[in-house]
Amino acid sequence: MKIIYSWLSDFIENPPAPAELAAKLGRIGLKVEELKKTGAAFSGVCVAQILKIDKHPNADKLALVDVNDGKVTMRVVCGAKNIAVGQKIPFAKVGAMLSGGELKKAKIRGVDSEGMLCSAAELGLEGYDSSGILLLPDTTAIGVDAVTLFPKADYTLEVEMLPNQSHCLSHYALAREFCVFYGYKLKEAAIFEGKSSGEVVPVHINVPDLCPRYGAIVIKGVRGAKTPAWMADRLRAMGSNPKGNLLIDGSNYVMYELGQPTHCFDIAKLAGPKIIVRRAMPGEMLKPLDGQAIKLDAGMLVIADASKPVALAGVMGGFYTAVSEETDAILIESARFHPPTVRLASKTTGIKSESSYRFERGTDPELPKKAARRLAKLILEAAPGAEIEQISDTCPVKYERPVVEIDPARVNAILGTGIADGEIYACLKAFQPDLKDSKPWKFTVPSYRQDIETVWDAAEEIARYVGYDVIPSVSRMPMLPSAVTAQWAVGLEMKTTLAGLGFSEVYNYDFVSVKEMKACAFYADMALEVKNPLSSDYQFMRQSLLTGLLKTLRYNLNRGRETVQIFESGTVYAKADAGKTEQVHCAGLMAGAFPEGGFWQGGQGATDFYHLKGMMSRIFSGKGGFRFEKPKSAPGYFQPGLCLEMKLGGNSAGYVGKLSPVVAAAFDFKDNNIFYFEIPLDSMAAAWKPDFWQKITKIKAVSAFPQNWRDLSIVLEEKHEWAELERSFSGVQDLASARLIDVYKGKNIPAGSRSLTIRFTFSSMAGTLNDADVSARMTAVLEKLTKNFNAKLRS
Amino acid sequence: MNSTVWKEKLSAIRDSFSVSVAKTPAENPEAIELHYLGRKGELALLLRDLKDIPIEERKELGALGNTAKEEMTAKLAELKGASGSAGTVLRSSIDLTLPGWPFPKGSLHPLTHTMNRLAEGFLKLGFTMADGPRVEDDYHNFEALNFPPFHPARDMQDTFYVGAIDEVGKGMLLRTHTSPVQIRSMEKQDPPLRVFHTGRVFRSEAVDASHSFAFHQIEGLYVDKGVSMADLKWTVDAFMKDLFGSGVKTRFNPSYFPFVEPGAEVDMSCVFCKSGERCPVCKGTGWLEVMGAGLVHSNVLKACKYDPEKWSGFAFGAGIERFAMLLYGISDMRMLYENDLRILKQVQ
Repeated sequence: MKIIYSWLSDFIENPPAPAELAAKLGRIGLKVEELKKTGAAFSGVCVAQILKIDKHPNADKLALVDVNDGKVTMRVVCGAKNIAVGQKIPFAKVGAMLSGGELKKAKIRGVDSEGMLCSAAELGLEGYDSSGILLLPDTTAIGVDAVTLFPKADYTLEVEMLPNQSHCLSHYALAREFCVFYGYKLKEAAIFEGKSSGEVVPVHINVPDLCPRYGAIVIKGVRGAKTPAWMADRLRAMGSNPKGNLLIDGSNYVMYELGQPTHCFDIAKLAGPKIIVRRAMPGEMLKPLDGQAIKLDAGMLVIADASKPVALAGVMGGFYTAVSEETDAILIESARFHPPTVRLASKTTGIKSESSYRFERGTDPELPKKAARRLAKLILEAAPGAEIEQISDTCPVKYERPVVEIDPARVNAILGTGIADGEIYACLKAFQPDLKDSKPWKFTVPSYRQDIETVWDAAEEIARYVGYDVIPSVSRMPMLPSAVTAQWAVGLEMKTTLAGLGFSEVYNYDFVSVKEMKACAFYADMALEVKNPLSSDYQFMRQSLLTGLLKTLRYNLNRGRETVQIFESGTVYAKADAGKTEQVHCAGLMAGAFPEGGFWQGGQGATDFYHLKGMMSRIFSGKGGFRFEKPKSAPGYFQPGLCLEMKLGGNSAGYVGKLSPVVAAAFDFKDNNIFYFEIPLDSMAAAWKPDFWQKITKIKAVSAFPQNWRDLSIVLEEKHEWAELERSFSGVQDLASARLIDVYKGKNIPAGSRSLTIRFTFSSMAGTLNDADVSARMTAVLEKLTKNFNAKLRS
Repeated sequence: MNSTVWKEKLSAIRDSFSVSVAKTPAENPEAIELHYLGRKGELALLLRDLKDIPIEERKELGALGNTAKEEMTAKLAELKGASGSAGTVLRSSIDLTLPGWPFPKGSLHPLTHTMNRLAEGFLKLGFTMADGPRVEDDYHNFEALNFPPFHPARDMQDTFYVGAIDEVGKGMLLRTHTSPVQIRSMEKQDPPLRVFHTGRVFRSEAVDASHSFAFHQIEGLYVDKGVSMADLKWTVDAFMKDLFGSGVKTRFNPSYFPFVEPGAEVDMSCVFCKSGERCPVCKGTGWLEVMGAGLVHSNVLKACKYDPEKWSGFAFGAGIERFAMLLYGISDMRMLYENDLRILKQVQ
């Protein structure tokens, strides 16, 4: 909220300087985001006219200018380009105080200068073009003190207002807060003090719970009441555009000053004339002050006359009963409305106003009377012939200030402090001067502080009063064991392993477009939709991490990268009946040359399926029950037949494979040599053990005797897969490992067959295996291979 | 050949051997060995010539030859020893400055590093990790946290709604903060409890240098008997000192979050200031705003069926992005979601 320093100072006796004030507000939780100097603060500058412009004898870019201030003509050196004879300009004489300090007599390139023609910046004025000399209107009188042409020097403070600071939403309210906390004396605004017992416009409140109070003042003879210049200046400084009509501007002024929104109705336009506060009837219409007519519903509170709604309560007045230049008699409304009702009406109609902003946050129950009288005072000052015809205060629900019992020991227990009773009492007394000193104190909460309801609320005020620095930093917290979740633990382990294997972690948003979703072979009817997306690019929650990773791949390829090896861990979402499911996945991809950048000895190539499969084996190594399987149904984004499912025990641990050419084409990749995996972390978290010792696998003894190995080259039909062969070796005596060391097809191998070279390593715990032992075992192996796979020894 | 010629030849071999082994830089000892002592080496050939020498002189010459061989063998052993291990070279015949095998280098994201480190800070203080869903219901995200319906505090957190319905028929939303996990933890467990949670949150805000519609938070909650603002201050201070060293200071300013009362904003003293220049990080103020904190609001305790007359607690939390930007010297939050590998690969 904007606060004008001079306006705030109307209510604080001997206020501190702006910077000090801003710092003090900050310490009580009212953060001043900006402190800006405004208006004119210079002196010794008068309006002068340019009589003559000559070239400077020693400098091409400078001119010698004769100026007259109404008394004498002086010669100055000037470098600006926008000057011309006859112009009126601000002229600073030697000794003038400008934004850069005092102006001294100067000799410029050998010529004496008797003063200076000023730019706006040199005068310290904001909001003007400062590229040249500030040119004044032709009508400006020569010789006038230039400072009188501009608003007075002032400051504006931009104060951040949190939702609980509704008691600070005006100049008076902020001054009051400051005075309470820093012991300054608060000054009051002048109000109309007179009385009136007339009733020109009766007020009926049909819904007291939504409108507990409705203050009205009727004034006659206000025609042509003009907004005074000082008020217009202040409104302009607030960023509000004064209309010149005091009935409108005055209402705004009072709101900025006291925090109470008011509204003026033209009585001549009120049917009745009568004021009825009621719920809107379904189908009723209201044309607000600005904008199109809106349809009302029964959830909305309206001010109505005898026949129609004339205002959406707390939000905006109606167009047809608004004041104009012709208005002679007005009704000032100054009321209190139910905050949620105002908020709902504002949300439903989409009308946000300074008024609704304040009502939503809750207004001071005791303020309406004062605000109406303040506005009446301002109007009467500008329209001396006007008469007060009615002052009414319809108050169907009487407001009682709540009382909070405050025990100083409780306050100190909450804050962890040892604040003396006297100091706590002093704080409460600052709020409530008549507080009686008998413990526990019966603290009567001021009407403007509706947020104080409990001893905790009061404790916060006391902490603000003594300063948060008074709270010591001590703790009696007992030691407690701590632990992480299974998902965090397995996620972190996986991320760390992937990073160690050369993958870079990326972070993508959880949102995808329908186009991206379809491009990745997902269906919209399974996806969780965002009801209010920022744009159609972010309309659905991702069902897989694929989209983000492919976009990241494309982003980096477009920036000249040849190898991309990335992963991401994040949530994926899906619709389930009326609800939703969400799971944390870890996914990644590899594309381009491997290893990145190649190697000068050779040995590099394009990334292929087996690179990524090897990485998966590495990630899952040591995880019991891990294996690759051919999937019964693979995700649609993989190339058919080029995908393996990973299994941990009976659970799926995701898929690894080659991207489908269709998906690759949809993302504009030139080929589908993109290898992808996606793993649900739940699969691993299920097997995770919280106790570290349970995670440790017991070490198996190894043989003390030398091991022995034998290579075997066989030829067999291609339909027999390696995994089948591998399985068949189980049970071979003393076999420690069977490692595939070569696959060969081509010359000397029949079409449809391939040659495999396998290294069998044997080791026995009982003794050294001699050649005969090994040969016997190899015979058994070969027999199995011949019998099961019709394999032949390669000659 | 007579014995004189043979002796001269032996002498010549010894001389040239001495020259070879004394060369700087030294020659390959294997090559020298092969040249002189190998099966067809100079000395071996000379010894073979002994068969032409009369038998009576042969014995003397043989002894001379063997002595020479022993000397040369010893000298070579000495040289090999000096080069490190047996069989290696004295002077490299390969260019050791050529690049080594390019083992792929990956990286964790700056946000992951930051989150891990902050989580570690909580774990050290005895906070146990808790979890909760990203797609939340209105009750856990707002109402139980003392954001009543139609409360203006809801404006602080612009919300994304999704096409799913909760148990009471209300539309579900993407959680706007990590605080719903406070509620879920208290619902699950009786006091005392000390938990923390970190993860992604969502706000319907336009993306700019300091805003993102998806970002990350971390926050801790402690409920026990007699927990006060002083406990909170100590914990926050200990947490920050763990991160930035014992020299760092913290201070509390009054602030507002609906789910705490009293509420505070935590500043830390700027650790990035260098003397003699206006610090661009803290803008010369000496302080950085880093966390929100406060005592758990009595309405929140009540919503979780904790008696506020018996139990009290504190909560404090921070934005991960804010810390990551401070730590990595990033001034534009969008950089964290661009996934440019030229940037990510810089992370150690």
